[in-house]
Amino acid sequence: MKAQKTSSQPKGTLRNGNKRAKNSKWHGHNKSLHADDPASARHEHGIASSGKPSMKPLKRQYAKAVSARTVSSLLPAGQKCKRLAAHTHSNGQAVSVSSSGDSETEDSQGWRAYAQSVLQNGMQTNAEAEESLPLEHLGEDIQPFLTQFDHVNNRTLMVMRPGQTLCFRGKCLLTCLYGRVEVLGFTIEEGQQPYPLYSPSSHCPLTITALADSSLSTKNRKEGRQEAKMVVRKYLSSVPRKHLLNEMDSDSCAILLEALDNPLTRFLTSQSPLKELFSLSSRELRADSAVDNSALSAVGVTALNSSGCPGLMTSRSYRDALHRLVRVWGDDDCDRCPVILVYGARNSGKSTFVRHLINSLLNHTTSVEYMECDVGQTEFTPPGCLSLSAVTEPLLGPPFTHQQEPRHMVYYGQADCQSDLDRYLDSLKSLWRHSSGDMPVIINTMGWVRGLGFQLLVDLVRFFSVTHVVQLSFGETSQCPALTPEFLRTAHGWQTHPPAPSALGQAELQEAPNSHVFLSIHSEFQGAGTSGEMRHQRSNELRDLSLMGYFSQMQSPDSSLVRPLHCFTPYQVPVSSVAIGVTHCEVAPSHILYAANASLVGLCCLDENVAGRGGPMLLSQTPICPCVGLGVLRGVDMVRGLYLLVTPVPPALLRRVNCLLLGEISLPKALLTTQSGVDGDLPYVTTDYSFELTGAGKLHVFKGLARPGFVKAK
Amino acid sequence: MKNKPAAKIRHVVAWINKAEWDQVLDYLYSKDAALQNYALQRISAWKGRFGHNTPVAVESTADLVRCQVLDSSGQLDSDDLVLLYGMALVRFVNLITERRQGRVAKPLRRLAGNMNIPEWIVNLRHDITHRRLPTLKWCRKGCAFVLQWLQQEYWSRQLGSRLSEDWDSESEEEEDEETWARRREEELLTQQKETENQKKARELLISYEKERFQMYEEWLKHGSPHGAWLEPSSDLSWTLKQIKLFATESREIFTDTLVQDGFLIPTQEQLESLDIDPIGCYDPLRPCVPRVFLQFWMPLLKGLNRVTFIRRVLEKLFAELSAEPDPHRSYYLSAWISEVVLCNSKSLLKVKKKSQMMELFVNRMQLGWQQLLTACLNSPCAATPYLLQLLLKDMDEPPPPDTQEKLLRLSSIYTQGEYHDTHGQPDPSKHVYTLQNLKEKLRRDGNSAHGLGPGSSLSNRSASSAQSLSNEDLQEKLSASVLEQRTAALRGSPWQVCTDKVPWKFYPLGKVPGQSEDPSCLMVETYSTVTVFDQQVELDKTPQHHMNPSIHSQNRTGSDGQLWSLAELNKLKSGLKLF
Repeated sequence: MKAQKTSSQPKGTLRNGNKRAKNSKWHGHNKSLHADDPASARHEHGIASSGKPSMKPLKRQYAKAVSARTVSSLLPAGQKCKRLAAHTHSNGQAVSVSSSGDSETEDSQGWRAYAQSVLQNGMQTNAEAEESLPLEHLGEDIQPFLTQFDHVNNRTLMVMRPGQTLCFRGKCLLTCLYGRVEVLGFTIEEGQQPYPLYSPSSHCPLTITALADSSLSTKNRKEGRQEAKMVVRKYLSSVPRKHLLNEMDSDSCAILLEALDNPLTRFLTSQSPLKELFSLSSRELRADSAVDNSALSAVGVTALNSSGCPGLMTSRSYRDALHRLVRVWGDDDCDRCPVILVYGARNSGKSTFVRHLINSLLNHTTSVEYMECDVGQTEFTPPGCLSLSAVTEPLLGPPFTHQQEPRHMVYYGQADCQSDLDRYLDSLKSLWRHSSGDMPVIINTMGWVRGLGFQLLVDLVRFFSVTHVVQLSFGETSQCPALTPEFLRTAHGWQTHPPAPSALGQAELQEAPNSHVFLSIHSEFQGAGTSGEMRHQRSNELRDLSLMGYFSQMQSPDSSLVRPLHCFTPYQVPVSSVAIGVTHCEVAPSHILYAANASLVGLCCLDENVAGRGGPMLLSQTPICPCVGLGVLRGVDMVRGLYLLVTPVPPALLRRVNCLLLGEISLPKALLTTQSGVDGDLPYVTTDYSFELTGAGKLHVFKGLARPGFVKAK
Repeated sequence: MKNKPAAKIRHVVAWINKAEWDQVLDYLYSKDAALQNYALQRISAWKGRFGHNTPVAVESTADLVRCQVLDSSGQLDSDDLVLLYGMALVRFVNLITERRQGRVAKPLRRLAGNMNIPEWIVNLRHDITHRRLPTLKWCRKGCAFVLQWLQQEYWSRQLGSRLSEDWDSESEEEEDEETWARRREEELLTQQKETENQKKARELLISYEKERFQMYEEWLKHGSPHGAWLEPSSDLSWTLKQIKLFATESREIFTDTLVQDGFLIPTQEQLESLDIDPIGCYDPLRPCVPRVFLQFWMPLLKGLNRVTFIRRVLEKLFAELSAEPDPHRSYYLSAWISEVVLCNSKSLLKVKKKSQMMELFVNRMQLGWQQLLTACLNSPCAATPYLLQLLLKDMDEPPPPDTQEKLLRLSSIYTQGEYHDTHGQPDPSKHVYTLQNLKEKLRRDGNSAHGLGPGSSLSNRSASSAQSLSNEDLQEKLSASVLEQRTAALRGSPWQVCTDKVPWKFYPLGKVPGQSEDPSCLMVETYSTVTVFDQQVELDKTPQHHMNPSIHSQNRTGSDGQLWSLAELNKLKSGLKLF
């Protein structure tokens, strides 16, 4: 929030700010349409690389002016302005500012306003969370959900008072018709595209919070009310809208909820164990948390009362850290884009915090870079992949609901990196080379924070020149040391080491400008640090869900029919044209196809041509190479020497693939055991295997036992 | 979850079929180093599939067999071998007892004792880890013993082998616990869900009743033209929408609730409040629902007017009837059946017996006559002959007249009612009073069953064609343009879209057309090695064709010269029964 910034900004920018902001907003969404095309995305990065990418203005005026937006959309993409002014109208005293040119830029005001709203919201949640239960109930009784189901169009209109929340299970498509609402840090306002929300029982339920409109003071209340009512009238037929109209005020929010049914949800819920994925979790059922609202349940949303499940519980330190990180991006003071590394022990809330942070940043910028360092619980890719993604859409659901093609990916092949630390780090380094450097980068790490795992974290902080390190911890004692700049001065990593003592004096001088900000978050949600034991919460189940989400991309978008994987027309490739390798163990070469058949394979691209004379091409060691996605080797035609493969990877990418990597990540069991319509026995499936016999189970390791070697390492 | 815990769980394993398992087992214990080596190589592929889920017994066996193979090769000194054996033995003892460990470490000796592992094996392990290394002789002895133990305790009992009938089950395995816990949780969830749904069904129906009753009151008050209260109000249509939504989601629960007392079966208070004289039109032989009460429910029935729903309601009504309820309940159950059947027939026959507003069905429905007939006969009550008559009259393909007559007669005899013959003179010879008659009856029944034949086979055929239709849909059919697009995108690369006309839907993952059941079918005879240096692929320009060492053994044991393949042999084995 620096005053001197105004001087650097040309007057023209100010005047045109409004228009450009619209453009940028439109552009932001437009870009999202192309998000799956890495080439165009990269092209745009190039354009924007002159400075920080444009920001998403939190402005209702722009959003409403549909015609203006259409006009501005004709502007070439190159005119996208890098700094957006004209945030003003939403911030109280704004009108005068934009005309007179106050010493503060509108921008910084926007930031302040946002920061305040974050704090306010935070406090609200805080208050709610800390108040005693009876009071909460009281609050709910006073504010029943104002909903109306539209039978004709099969959708539900809901009017929310500022501050009112809807915590829910289920899935729906949310459009904000009037006002602004916030979901997991992301602000949705009127005129924006519909956003799919997923709140399955595997994760913390989502909460829709109605935000107070900051432009209220300057706005004529009456006018606002009229406008709001217009919106309701537009979307509802005459009879049922009455009670909503009575409650609608200028500061209310109106949202439209529609049932969500897409290939992903169809594919997931077609699997019998996942049928109830989007219903209440067993704990919520037991606590009888469902709030009966037929209009909401008609579109697949079950509202929760606060008694059983309070939704996302944020601690004070959580909100402070979030607030601070969001402000960094608005702050011109920092000379380079923030690189934020988040770490903490398992189940400390890293992923949720990261999603929250990304969403919050996406309120202000069109794109955030995300670096996946957690091979076990990946955000955008199937498990076992390390990746670098550009995030342009908010994350309003758990990972398996937003599987998307990352910009760069390496297939590691295992759910943890312990077997090959060097390959893990080298893979990450190869990905980091592709980081654009003009977007905020969020780095999510593994929950392995002891011993060597912690040393890897030290390496990561050094490799990526991290500007902000966020530690999540829970309970009385912290699970691992704080990665403060001081600590790093002497800490040993797996590959990196602190400067030699003789050069200490110099090193301190050198390291000072590069040193990072350390933020600590103490998680206080219920069950912090304990792994989910309910259905769909175990880590292997979450991995299966991610894979299902990934392979649901093969399902046809228009047909309601769910196809099992074996029914798809496969691709074929001669066994001598692609190399094949196993990442996690040694397999006898002549038996390699026994390991490969009906297995999950990483589709990778080696630089060299692979061409042999008949027979498979075996990799002598695991390469670190780009991976375009995963596929299932559905069979091997031994007579003609062909691999037959089914994959959601588009053919344009598949053509580059010349290497198949087998990993320890296996297909979800359900995909193999439930293949309908098949004659005869299913390969690799038996009902006769008895786990009751001695030695029939896998190696069992008691997790409570710490390894002495690792403990000493810190 | 309908599967009872007894239902067999499908496990994913690393072997493609039982034949592969048997082959590996045979080779492991074959005492022939080449075959053992082959089995070890296959287990390396299994480990690739299983990952960290490799069964401990498989891994231990492989380690120990590897020692034996290396030992028999004669290339290693005895000191080398002791180290090899030592590691395999230590791992066996530790891993196999690991699962029996609790939170507090228990002595290995006790754990092993419980598993029939003798103390000397545990001592051998202690010697290897803590004391002087044992001699090679001891190691060999230990290895042989443990391999035998593994064969007895694991290999020969696994996969439904005959030996496995009598083991004393000691379920301690994690997989089992996990699935069991999950299943219990799921059961609990479905239970909770069900009670919740039942509650909801009741609530919905009660709110319907309330609104209907209110409408009735108003209608009485205003005395508006007859039938005005049949038009659903806006409030009612909202409730109906809800009911409809709910009924499509959980039809079973809804219909179950619907036929409970207080809903389709009125209580005394309900009858009173609707001014229905409970005795008025009461004729147990020809039951009918009082008009007002019928009108009361008409909007709901109209709203849910769908074949599946009506069928389900009828089934449920019959099922309730067969449970021999009290006369009041039985009367209303049969009355509703007759109303539904009558309404359906009426819409076809345009009988003007009842007023227009009573019309429940716009179109005639196929109500599954055969099943209804069976259900009707299975639930005899005073009104059965009457219902039977209705059904027979309404059937699309009724049984021959004499069979109809017999059925009616039989049912009236059973219910001790009076059968009024519609065809004039009853043929005395057709009375089923004597054994002779009964035999005759049976013979004719057989005939009539044939008579019913075409109908049932028709429905079978339509069912099977529907099945094949959905199967056809399952197979992905790429449109010409998509195929063209993909082909174009892949042109110039070794990749292609598989254009063989293969019905993939019949081939599960891991199977392709022409693939033999022989467990050796995926063996690779020649391969080349690719070395990658710093992202650079170094290819052997002249690929060395390593001859697979196991090929020799393969030739020896392969299918040539043998009468049956291993798969066939396996089938033969499993088909054999020893008495």
